[in-house]
Amino acid sequence: MRNSARIVGAAAVLLLTVSGCGLGSGDAGGKESPTGAPSSKVTGKINFQTLQLKPDFDKYINGVITDFETQNPGTKVNWVDIPYEGAQERLVTDATAGTLPDVVNLNPQFAQPLEKEGLFLDLAKAAPKAQAMYVPGAWDSFQIPGKTGSYGFPWYLTSEVTMYNKDLFTKAGLDPATPPATFEDLWADADKLAKAGNGEFYGLHPALDTSFITDLAKLGVPLLNDAGTEWTFNTPDAAAYVDRLSKMYKAGVMPKDSLTQTHADQIEAYQAGRIALFPSGPNFLKIIKENAPAIAKATGVGPQITGPHGVANMAVMGLLVPTTSKNQATALAFAEFMTNAKNQVAFSKIVTVLPSVTGALKDPYFTDVSDGTIESQARKISAEQIPKAVNQVPVQFDDRIKAVVIGKIQLAMQGQLTSKDALDQAVKEANLITGG
Amino acid sequence: MIGRHKSVPWLFLVPGLAIAVVFFLVPFANTLVLSFTDARALGGGQFTGLHNYARLLDDAAFWLALRNTLLYVVVVVPFMVVLPLLLAVLVEKELPGIGFFRAVFYSPVVASMVVVGLIWSWMLGSDGLVNWVLRSLSVVNEPIGFLTDAQLLLFSAMFVTVWKGLGYYMVIYLAALASVPKELHEAARVDGATAIRRFFAITVPTIRPTMLLIGVLSAIAATKIFAEIYVLSSGSGGPGGQARSLVMYIREVGLGLGGEIGYASAISLALFVVTIGFSLLFIRASRGEEEVS
Repeated sequence: MRNSARIVGAAAVLLLTVSGCGLGSGDAGGKESPTGAPSSKVTGKINFQTLQLKPDFDKYINGVITDFETQNPGTKVNWVDIPYEGAQERLVTDATAGTLPDVVNLNPQFAQPLEKEGLFLDLAKAAPKAQAMYVPGAWDSFQIPGKTGSYGFPWYLTSEVTMYNKDLFTKAGLDPATPPATFEDLWADADKLAKAGNGEFYGLHPALDTSFITDLAKLGVPLLNDAGTEWTFNTPDAAAYVDRLSKMYKAGVMPKDSLTQTHADQIEAYQAGRIALFPSGPNFLKIIKENAPAIAKATGVGPQITGPHGVANMAVMGLLVPTTSKNQATALAFAEFMTNAKNQVAFSKIVTVLPSVTGALKDPYFTDVSDGTIESQARKISAEQIPKAVNQVPVQFDDRIKAVVIGKIQLAMQGQLTSKDALDQAVKEANLITGG
Repeated sequence: MIGRHKSVPWLFLVPGLAIAVVFFLVPFANTLVLSFTDARALGGGQFTGLHNYARLLDDAAFWLALRNTLLYVVVVVPFMVVLPLLLAVLVEKELPGIGFFRAVFYSPVVASMVVVGLIWSWMLGSDGLVNWVLRSLSVVNEPIGFLTDAQLLLFSAMFVTVWKGLGYYMVIYLAALASVPKELHEAARVDGATAIRRFFAITVPTIRPTMLLIGVLSAIAATKIFAEIYVLSSGSGGPGGQARSLVMYIREVGLGLGGEIGYASAISLALFVVTIGFSLLFIRASRGEEEVS
């Protein structure tokens, strides 16, 4: 599967190389690129750092780099990939030393503290026409709350779908063709599944680290005040949600050990057939297919459960150019080249991610389900969600705040705290951290 | 040559001293200075006097982590001092195939802590082997939350620490046992002393310095406990972080883009005081023994 995916990706890159990407950024004479960044002086060497894309996407990334260097004679892109684990420490070291690479791949949570320190170019000024090209929710992800400007070219996106095990649905007497559409449906189905599983399999895994804050947002709970300076999620609606989680945990709808586990454990549990419902990014379909082909075969997909307001969540990756870059023109040109419609569509053909360029989402590839695969269905569903999706995880929700908040919710689910006390304590402690 | 130039011995010491200064003394001094500032991973660094230490006093998470760390030392150290000694006495005898048992007891020492942690998290999980056995034997009806109850998680981690460390200290004891004079044992045997009497009257007094050394080493290791709790709890430190150790808390506070380096340095200094405290306690105990003897 991986090989064929790579071949498809390489073919797409080859096609793009032959057709030419038409950026025209190699022209001298002060011309503008499509995003409004000056395309003169695009020459010389730059360093490009990605987050955990090696070795799966070597061919694709190297192909794009070769295209860029071919179209911009005199340029040289040195690609470095760092693992997600330890990435923050590396970024702190580089930022402190003033040695951040010329183009840095970050998610909004990683980017925000660096943006606040003024370490990245404001694209509203450096590439003034860029904003109109990208999905609005993705573009907004790289803004600093309470300030103007935006600091990152949105790159690849994922928007969660509801994956579920059709075999386990059948065992529980549920319709395998009807995934849950609302939170109430999800919880009711999970309850029935756990009862049918009787310890052999469960309904849900809470994966509090990734789901809790987005679920609150989907349920309409205000996470922060308007200025983005204080946490405000200790509301009756949030308490009702925590009560529901606690009830399900105590009733055995979720595995006992899942309380302190993470999204990575959730994937493992789904692959092992231990949980029946798996709301997550469709990019995980590839991993499931590689690790557990039987589970992948039994997997169905439905739209993301969005709550009463119908706003879907999406995860965003972006490319940012530090102000310390000695070759900003080339860095900007490369970042926009990497994120342009053609290159992003090619990337989406290798792995189930979505492009952040609005025009690219109109490519027939994102609506074509004629191959009958689960990936194409997931792609279609998530692509339909993207134009109105937003990144519902506040950029202020960093690892420390996450640990504090999730810790209190774990205690509530165990019955050590009431939902109200847990949320009040979580808000109080999170505000202490956010306030410094 | 050495007698003629006083600087020569220092020249021999330079490589070791350089390593100690660059990798231990300078970072220690830096940590000490940072603990009086509001340094963050990005920015900060203003002198704030004793603010971080005052904050420590009001920080419930710090006190809980300190309590867990002290509990870890108090529970683990006696096991680490006694169990490897018994094991060493068992495998000390030259019997056919005894090398196999020595290797088996030592094998957890060379295994990666992450692998060991993962194996035990599978064993101790609610659907793991231990719970399966207990339920099969009808000892319990509901699975025991070894990994989801903060206290049980802490004791599970202690068990893993002891299990993994037994072999290492066993080897140290084997070396010490080899130095126990055989003639003393023979004389005692002639006088009719039982094996247990000889163990307490001859073996233990002879290897007491080794026992103290192992006490100090295992106490220092226990104050720095991290990997066992981290792996068994999927990095969370148990529900609400209630089984977090001091090192886990330092990591949580100080690492990452939002890391509070100044405050984490103050907690590190507190850990340093605890570690030194246990070492001094053992040294004092050691001197007391010498004076008595």
